Amino acid sequence: MKKKVVAIMLSAFTVLSMMGCGGGAAAPAGDTETVAEEPAPAAEEASAEKEAPQSIGKSVEGELSVTIWDEGQRPGLQEIIDDWSAQSGVKATIQVVDWNDYWTLLEAGATGGELPDVFWMHSNVAQKYMENDLLLDLTDKIAASDKIDMANYYDGIVKLYQSDGKQYAVPKDIDTIALWYNKTIFDEMGVPYPDDTWTWEDFAANAKKLTNDDHWGYAIAPGNNQEGYYNTIYSMGGYVISEDKKTSGMDDPNSIKAVKLFTDMIADGSCPDLATVSETAPNELLCAGKVAMSINGSWMLAGYRDNEYAAANCDVAVLPYTSTPADRVSIYNGLGWAAAANGKNTDAAWSLIEYLGSKEAQIKQAELGVTMSAYMGTSDAWVNSVPAFDLNGHMKMLDAKLVFRPYSRDTTVWEDMMIEKLQDAWTGEKPVEDVCKDIAAEMNADLAEE
Amino acid sequence: MPRDYPWVCLFKKNGLVKEVYVKKKASSREKSEFIWGWIFILPTMLGLIVLNIYPMIDTIRQSFYKTGDFGKGNVFVGLKNYEKVLGDSEVWQALWNTVKYAIVEVPFSIVIALLLAVMLNKKIKGRDVFRTIFFLPMVVAPAAIAMVWKWLYNSNFGLINNTFHIKVNWISDPKIAIYSIAVIGIWSVIGYNMVLFLAGLQEVPRDYYEAAALDGASGWQQLINITIPLISPTIFFVLVTRIIAAMQVFDLIYMLIDLNNPAWKKTESLVFLFYKYSFEQSKKGYGATVIVVLLAVILMLTILQLIGQKKWVHYE
Repeated sequence: MKKKVVAIMLSAFTVLSMMGCGGGAAAPAGDTETVAEEPAPAAEEASAEKEAPQSIGKSVEGELSVTIWDEGQRPGLQEIIDDWSAQSGVKATIQVVDWNDYWTLLEAGATGGELPDVFWMHSNVAQKYMENDLLLDLTDKIAASDKIDMANYYDGIVKLYQSDGKQYAVPKDIDTIALWYNKTIFDEMGVPYPDDTWTWEDFAANAKKLTNDDHWGYAIAPGNNQEGYYNTIYSMGGYVISEDKKTSGMDDPNSIKAVKLFTDMIADGSCPDLATVSETAPNELLCAGKVAMSINGSWMLAGYRDNEYAAANCDVAVLPYTSTPADRVSIYNGLGWAAAANGKNTDAAWSLIEYLGSKEAQIKQAELGVTMSAYMGTSDAWVNSVPAFDLNGHMKMLDAKLVFRPYSRDTTVWEDMMIEKLQDAWTGEKPVEDVCKDIAAEMNADLAEE
Repeated sequence: MPRDYPWVCLFKKNGLVKEVYVKKKASSREKSEFIWGWIFILPTMLGLIVLNIYPMIDTIRQSFYKTGDFGKGNVFVGLKNYEKVLGDSEVWQALWNTVKYAIVEVPFSIVIALLLAVMLNKKIKGRDVFRTIFFLPMVVAPAAIAMVWKWLYNSNFGLINNTFHIKVNWISDPKIAIYSIAVIGIWSVIGYNMVLFLAGLQEVPRDYYEAAALDGASGWQQLINITIPLISPTIFFVLVTRIIAAMQVFDLIYMLIDLNNPAWKKTESLVFLFYKYSFEQSKKGYGATVIVVLLAVILMLTILQLIGQKKWVHYE
């Protein structure tokens, strides 16, 4: 008899507690500590191998906390920040929280009023953080500064961190898109390496020549927007989102043509099918010697550098153009250094951001091979940072037509929808025209809701 | 005068509690027991309230709101979110995906674990080694498991397809992806179920088997007629908890499937959808509504099982 009672109690208890756990992650409001200690299940699992981060870092008096998401950039940035510490006498340490956890924890921190002193901002969420006055308003400080002048930085990145005429972050870096290729496969198939004379048509024709039973010419997944069809859309005269961010340009004939370039390549077999790229990403295929070309952003550099096969066999060239070299397009994006509005050391935080944005630090950032810098004309040293590759492929894209990565207030909502819908175009289940028109209709609805 | 609480009546009706002693005056010893009892359960209670019960209630509250950024500017919208859920085909698809996963994972993991437990309950050589091997997946981080299986399943370069010279898109074919994921689920949970069953098997008296053997019952008949009825409380416990856990599947899917995957729509579970709305798209109110729907579904399934158990679960 006793057992039965125990069993009932046990099962009832388990039901309750398990459901408690399920709902637990959904409570962002009230108790921030709870949220910070219990990152979203995904975040927890994704980082299970490493030590899961417990919080985004918070403002402590007399010392600056700096939070970023890229471990590869930490050593170089710490060196630059140490230079600043030597001048200012304030200690600053970098904490790295990986991309997924970063946004979950930053939001939890913002909700509870505990943000790091200085941290990275990104186009996906910048608008939301600025509108809610979570970031320190830098407008007056920049005006009074002799080191920072917004005219020195790439325009799109400056504008990205503006809201209501106020500047909330100082541009940190810039990325460009370029064509990575496998020299060994090009040699094997007798195709000359890509150079600045290639058009997108040449690109497709050569991809076909580079395809045989062992490897494909090129690979692209529906998710490769910035590292794929966004570039061709703007190169061919189409657009993704209108200037006023109210309407979608995916149903523009040129946009459709630009997407069709890739879906035709999938159809004729010079690109792997959707199933293959959904299981193995294009850059992984390049590193495995399975594709001859892959379009990637400069942020992938560390990954290729650290991959033995890629370092030995691959190199990088500029992207092709459509009809004249003037329409060679690189979609670019850039991070910004932002500070918490309610931090305990806002003066020190501004001093650090001012230093990080200064010409001196921006040059050093490029020299150390951290990234290309957002300060125009300071990135030359970056070209020599990785001897294995001729980084002019990425550098020269700075001279191409730079188009800022399309964004709106809730970019992820329509971007995810677009990726999902493009699958049908990838498999050929629906004509590209229909898919793109469908995307445009839904995107317009999403934009209207923002 | 203490009242008879409803649950006491329930126990009385079921004959669980033969007599309920009601004393007019509590002795000092009873008082101190009462106080110490509370002190002992207090830490757990606090943990539960802060980490589970409060967030649960808050989640339900949020499901009636259109939430603003950073917990500010929440607007009460009544049942609007629920109306939207009812008409949202993505939610229904996710529920169906979750159910499909549970339908495969739960029965297989229980049957296989039970058979293993029966075998490993016998005195065979290397018993402890096998017990350890089967329990190992339980100790490994789910993220690591998912990564290894992702490569095993890879349609071009994976071990499975290359060993058997087949071309099956295990995790990118919308028709089979959810079952491939369920197989990983089964594999990782067998050990845990097995340990519970082993514990149950320890309590089955030997003499039943001896008597049955004398009567000429085969091993199979013994399993069906003695073992299963006698450990039915354990089976019931495993069933209830496994169904709850299976309905909450998230980590495997999150690690294996991404937006590029054609099987995306057919593998997205309810918790996944909740994650997408709440954390990726910051629609916390709607995310909360989705999870409340899941809570209702699990609650219903569990109540049905609690009712159904009377037919097949034998205590003592």
